[in-house]
Amino acid sequence: MDNRRRQFEAQALPHLDAAYNLARWLSRSPADAEDIVQEAMLRAFRAFDGFRGGDIKPWLLAIVRNCWRNASADTRRRGHAPLPEERDAPLLSDEPSPEAAAAQASEGRRLNEVIALLPNEFREVLVLREMEDLSYREIADVTGVPIGTVMSRLARARALLKEKWDRT
Amino acid sequence: MSCPEHLRTQAYLDGELDGIAASEAERHIESCADCRRASADAAELSDAIRRQTARYRAPDALRARTAALLDGETAPRAASFRPRGFWAGALSGAGTMAAAAGIALALLLPPSPETLAQSIADDHTDALMGARLIQVASSSHHVVKPWFAGRVAVSPPTPDFPDQGFVLAGGRIDRVAGTKAAVVVYRHGRHAIDLFVWPDGGSTLPGNATRHGYHTIFWKSGDLDFAAVSDTERRELEKFVTLVRSAPE
Ligand SMILES: [Zn+2]
Repeated sequence: MDNRRRQFEAQALPHLDAAYNLARWLSRSPADAEDIVQEAMLRAFRAFDGFRGGDIKPWLLAIVRNCWRNASADTRRRGHAPLPEERDAPLLSDEPSPEAAAAQASEGRRLNEVIALLPNEFREVLVLREMEDLSYREIADVTGVPIGTVMSRLARARALLKEKWDRT
Repeated sequence: MSCPEHLRTQAYLDGELDGIAASEAERHIESCADCRRASADAAELSDAIRRQTARYRAPDALRARTAALLDGETAPRAASFRPRGFWAGALSGAGTMAAAAGIALALLLPPSPETLAQSIADDHTDALMGARLIQVASSSHHVVKPWFAGRVAVSPPTPDFPDQGFVLAGGRIDRVAGTKAAVVVYRHGRHAIDLFVWPDGGSTLPGNATRHGYHTIFWKSGDLDFAAVSDTERRELEKFVTLVRSAPE
């Protein structure tokens, strides 16, 4: 195995769960999430020479997010059914991981559904902050918006989440 | 939610502040019912998300397929399958993002009222002690006003009120909580009055305060923030502020 490949695997593969989790929450579909992550890993590997060091996780997640955006644009262009943006479909229909299984408790399920139904820009900051523990700076890098926007989106996301959670 | 400091409070709760900024935020939360409630809500939500929601794990099949994909990439000649330009274009966002320089969070938040009040009091004390009270000495607004041009982003009013005992003495550049400010200096009897003028960055201004024996009066006008500070009597300083605020530009 060549050196570049070894380096890439050592740095990027530990974040495969993070990549999948983000893709899964953004796309809200296990099958789409797998496609997005595969595409993202391929692109990341090809672009690895341009990665300037530092923490690879935000860099990788930015690629995942780009792939998700491209994928949803493709889906819309080809006239396929839109992503379940506002649909009330069950959101945890896929095979649960140990963590997901733990979340089957009704409380967790309810919270999952509330988060899944948040608009994209609020859902993504919440996932990046609360699940992936990214800093404001890293979230700004991943989502391509200024830190001030990250802060206000995060505040809005939390307010929306609380409002919907209290109501359900 | 309605507190104008809520983004700062959130930044504190998210562990984004340290040092002075963190202790200021703590003090604010102690004194603000809105932010105390917001802190409790945020902690509850964060805890619920971390304990109850799914953090999905990559399926084993995905790991295997990813490895196979990389095998394909590292096999001889695989790199020539696609033109370089395609991937360079597709990735233009991600690469530059990772390279983007970080900006200190503190610079993006408007300074808190506590920071502003402290900063103005410190500047005034420093200026009096350090004999750098005045960088351009003149009682003519024809000299003082143009002196600020090119040195600071604001053009401060420089009215003179000799008949009321407030005499224009000059000006200097100072910093208010990190922002460059024009300071117009007046004499009132034995006392100096500093008139700070800086661009309004959306800060909540402090209430009028007395620190280190100096009175400070804050106000906003147009897109500028103002503070007058002096050890003269408060009533005199109020008179000065009334004159400045009613002077024609
Ligand atoms: Zn508050």
